[in-house]
Amino acid sequence: MQEREEAEELVTPGEVLGKGSQLKAGRGAYFLPQNDTVYASLTGRRSLIPPSPLSSDQRPTVEVTGHSAHGAIPEPGSIVIARVTKVMARMASADIMCVGPKSVREKFTGIIRQQDVRATEIDKVDMHSSFRPGDIVRALVLSLGDARAYFLSTAKNELGVVSAESTAGATMVPMSWTEMQCPLTGQIEQRKVAKVGGQA
Amino acid sequence: MEDNKPASFVDQLVVPGDVVLDLSKMGNQTVKLGGGLHQDCDAITVTKAGRLRFSKPNKYWVESSQKRYVPCVEDTVLGIVVDSKADNFLVDIKGPALAFLPVLAFEGGTRRNIPKFEAGTLLYVRVVKANTGMNPELSCTDASGKAAEFGPLKDGFMFESSTGLSRMLLSSPTCPVLEALGKKLSFEIAVGLNGRVWVNASSPSTVILVANAIMNSESLSVVQQKIMVDKLLQRIQ
Repeated sequence: MQEREEAEELVTPGEVLGKGSQLKAGRGAYFLPQNDTVYASLTGRRSLIPPSPLSSDQRPTVEVTGHSAHGAIPEPGSIVIARVTKVMARMASADIMCVGPKSVREKFTGIIRQQDVRATEIDKVDMHSSFRPGDIVRALVLSLGDARAYFLSTAKNELGVVSAESTAGATMVPMSWTEMQCPLTGQIEQRKVAKVGGQA
Repeated sequence: MEDNKPASFVDQLVVPGDVVLDLSKMGNQTVKLGGGLHQDCDAITVTKAGRLRFSKPNKYWVESSQKRYVPCVEDTVLGIVVDSKADNFLVDIKGPALAFLPVLAFEGGTRRNIPKFEAGTLLYVRVVKANTGMNPELSCTDASGKAAEFGPLKDGFMFESSTGLSRMLLSSPTCPVLEALGKKLSFEIAVGLNGRVWVNASSPSTVILVANAIMNSESLSVVQQKIMVDKLLQRIQ
């Protein structure tokens, strides 16, 4: 099979995909040397990738792509857009909505710790003057974090609050990297604002 | 300067929706709005039912009394310890969320002499941070770091009141009911702005009398309060 067909079979973790002598284990599959067999490790559709003509090893690669592979998954180093859900004394938690340009299909939670909000004076950060619940922030994924949430960082000029609503309900206009102003009431609120746009 | 309308709303009972000030008629002065007032372009509307108050030169606010407490910075409140975590105690102050009292927020507090409060301990504390959406933060020291009577309250009797009654008990000059009681009885009292009052005295009957007198005095005028206290004191003597 040189092309990928739509009517590929569904495989579950542990299913035998083929012999190690005939197939290379790609994404979602693994190879057990004792049995010389390639097994699936994810639930999804099995597909074969033909070998590149330049490589010495002419075995096709078998990979299993899961259903949720349609949506993006945050990886360390990727820029994500998240909505802040809770602001606490030392950290803020956010719901990750997009990874790069793609939106996610399942719920991912991220945490922005006090030391990751900005690059300077990190021990004097006041979380309440950096984020509020409901703000949309652009952040960088630092690591996979713990079982509950990814660790995010806004410690760069182009990271931070992208869009926020004032207490009066209007979308605020950024004024500097620390302040945003409500167009209805003129009140200035403090946020860690992202520097959006190409030109300085 | 009050507004130029013939019927001024200052010191009147107002309800949500009343337009109390019209900024276009008031010239170029800055007006400071306190709680219960909301600005809608040029009209100042009331958002909480209560009495409109004015203080020179330009402060307006609505004073209302309710049973629920909204935490504000620098308020002194009576809290009840609910739980203790590694870094702070969880304290209930009758607000929308539990408040955090850091374990080190005591005079001379270090990691070695952390106080042990059981669940149910009554504390007299000060609100340090009260942002919407976040749990309030408390402290058992005043702004300069001294203990200043903050901390656990032992013995005595705690009862709940409305926030308006708490403010009246703390007003200066001394509230008439406390003055009248203080002339004849000796007792200790701590008033929390969150609607909790603690009374302690040497005998239980004194405690009960003081508590009843305070609870009855909320809607009475100055003279009525004095008469009520005299009647209660006659029953003892």
